[in-house]
Amino acid sequence: MSTVMQSSAGGSAAARSFEAQWNRRSADPLLPIREQAMETFLKLGLPSLRDETWRYTDLRALAARTFVDAPRRAQGDIHPTASLSLFDAKQRAATVLMVNGHPMLYSDEMLINDMEISSIKEKSTLDPKLIAGFVGAISDADQHRWVLLNTALFEEGLYLKITKHSTTPLVILHVSTGDGGHDVAYPRVIIDARAGSSATIIEHHVAQGEFTPLVNSHTHIALGSGAQLEHYRVFATGTAATHIDTLDIHQERDSECKQFTIALGGGLVRAALEGHLNQPGASLDSYSLLVGHAERHVDCVNIVSHSAHDTKSRQTARGIASDHSRVIFNSKVIVDAGAVHSDSQQSFRGLLLSPTAEMDSRPQLEIHTDEVKCAHGATTGRLDPDMLFYLLSRGLDRDTAQSLLVFAFLADVLTGMSMASARSAIENALISQLPDSQILRKFR
Amino acid sequence: MLLEISDLSARVAGKEILKGINLNVNAGEVHAIMGPNGSGKSTLAQVLAGREDYEVTRGTVKFDGQDLLTLPAELRARAGLFLGFQYPVEIPGVNNVYLLKAALNAKRKAAGQPEVDAYEFLSLIRQKMKFMQMSESFLTRGVNEGFSGGEKKRNEVLQMLVLEPKLAILDETDSGLDIDALKVVSTGVNSLRDASRGVVLVTHYQRLLDYVVPDHVHVLSGGRIVKSGDRSLAHELERRGYDWVLESRVA
Repeated sequence: MSTVMQSSAGGSAAARSFEAQWNRRSADPLLPIREQAMETFLKLGLPSLRDETWRYTDLRALAARTFVDAPRRAQGDIHPTASLSLFDAKQRAATVLMVNGHPMLYSDEMLINDMEISSIKEKSTLDPKLIAGFVGAISDADQHRWVLLNTALFEEGLYLKITKHSTTPLVILHVSTGDGGHDVAYPRVIIDARAGSSATIIEHHVAQGEFTPLVNSHTHIALGSGAQLEHYRVFATGTAATHIDTLDIHQERDSECKQFTIALGGGLVRAALEGHLNQPGASLDSYSLLVGHAERHVDCVNIVSHSAHDTKSRQTARGIASDHSRVIFNSKVIVDAGAVHSDSQQSFRGLLLSPTAEMDSRPQLEIHTDEVKCAHGATTGRLDPDMLFYLLSRGLDRDTAQSLLVFAFLADVLTGMSMASARSAIENALISQLPDSQILRKFR
Repeated sequence: MLLEISDLSARVAGKEILKGINLNVNAGEVHAIMGPNGSGKSTLAQVLAGREDYEVTRGTVKFDGQDLLTLPAELRARAGLFLGFQYPVEIPGVNNVYLLKAALNAKRKAAGQPEVDAYEFLSLIRQKMKFMQMSESFLTRGVNEGFSGGEKKRNEVLQMLVLEPKLAILDETDSGLDIDALKVVSTGVNSLRDASRGVVLVTHYQRLLDYVVPDHVHVLSGGRIVKSGDRSLAHELERRGYDWVLESRVA
């Protein structure tokens, strides 16, 4: 955009390159919001280990690098590697392709599965107030630092409006594909589920080619009264990828959101979720499956705010860490004054499969009212020796017994998935990252 | 000789629990091992099944001609040794029927037989479950997940019937059963009795022995077998208590 900003004194090399990107953007109806977001970002800089939600993820190496916009690609050039087949061949499901944050749409406004689909850019020229309502919140909270940058720099984005009962799932296939090691992409998605609607939406993040851009993605979900949504975000990029994703969910009266966060790929995956239960009766059921494999670093941050009475949240997270990986589950439930009869649960169970792997969990509660039901629990350990002996005593060999127990450990998350095909694809991908995958397959 | 235990001593967490056990079980025989709490009955059962955190400090065990103590737990099972657990562990997420199938196939593979046919397997399981008066819902549940105490014990016996071991060691399989369940479990155990197999019943009470009549009864106390006899010994114990054996030994 045309405004040239004052370069921030404390800026890192990365921040300066983001600023350079900003200076090349052209104006659009969201300019005032973007400008404010960029200014705030440059003032605050990248988050560091001193920030509450970043205490487990060190971004210093990333801050020393510089970035340029990831390339646009023609649709014919897109052949993502390692994408999971989330559907059976005979199953009807629509896919919207989004490459480095650029949606590939056949027309300005499409209707798929009764959902209205357009780019955020397009929609913001038609209805700037509507879009401003979704992107306009400028927060200086550290978990939102990268969202500021996304707000300033995303180009097109994807806007989805759901008004009916959409019976077939919609897949948003996010493909990351760079030209070199210096690309950055800013995928932005708005899911606008109106009162009484229902849908299943899967955001599937995959990579193509040798270079995967730094991905700084943001999804905003708004659920109107009584709306129901099952949302998946599946990270399945390659080992070199760095992915910073923030998901904000805003819920009105009696809406229900079931959310699955599946970290199966990437080198560094930061998956933040912010749930806002704004009106009575809203409920959020979040499941996290965090698979630490090889050198992967998975940092999952969930912050759920109960702002109205009779709201309900469930967080079920399971992590496994093998090799040199590190898995973090950092969760917080905030119950505001007046949010009486709030009901929340946070459950994390971690399984360490290697002495060089690391796991951290930090469930927190901040309660500003009485008459609430809030439970939290976190355990990390190794395989249960009694279970292992039981299986061995039935003649199963050790590798099989161990693999079965690892898989069983994750079952609480997997069995929560309503979509059988997505579940089996995720199971298959998961199995391939567990020790003794060959043996496990026989049991599926 | 099916099982030959000589001078077996073992410790758990540095504490000597078994202090020189001698016991021989021939094919076709049912032996009952009785004794007060803490006498080492369960430790003996776990040591025979191959629990690793139980350290054998002395003695030998021969099973069907093999040196049992050198084998890991899974090879003991495949060789035909079965332990019915006193407290069967719940394993949510591992399906009951998967476990049964995997266990049966492991045994068949070790015997050089092909994997069991899926249809054949299911009809076998259904037949055995009916025999054990278990509902078919057990098939789809996790291993022992949410089972009552009695259901867990039935499930142990079901596994035993499917695996048809040469030697079954049943650790307090009668505890926590009401009389109807005890009868079902006993019928299951009796159905396995034949000239080629042995059964070792570890029990605190003689009640089970009214239904599964043993050939030999042994009293274990302080890590040793202090008295052996025929089934009448169990009745005598019931009448006079364990103190009687311990006192008569001291005297």
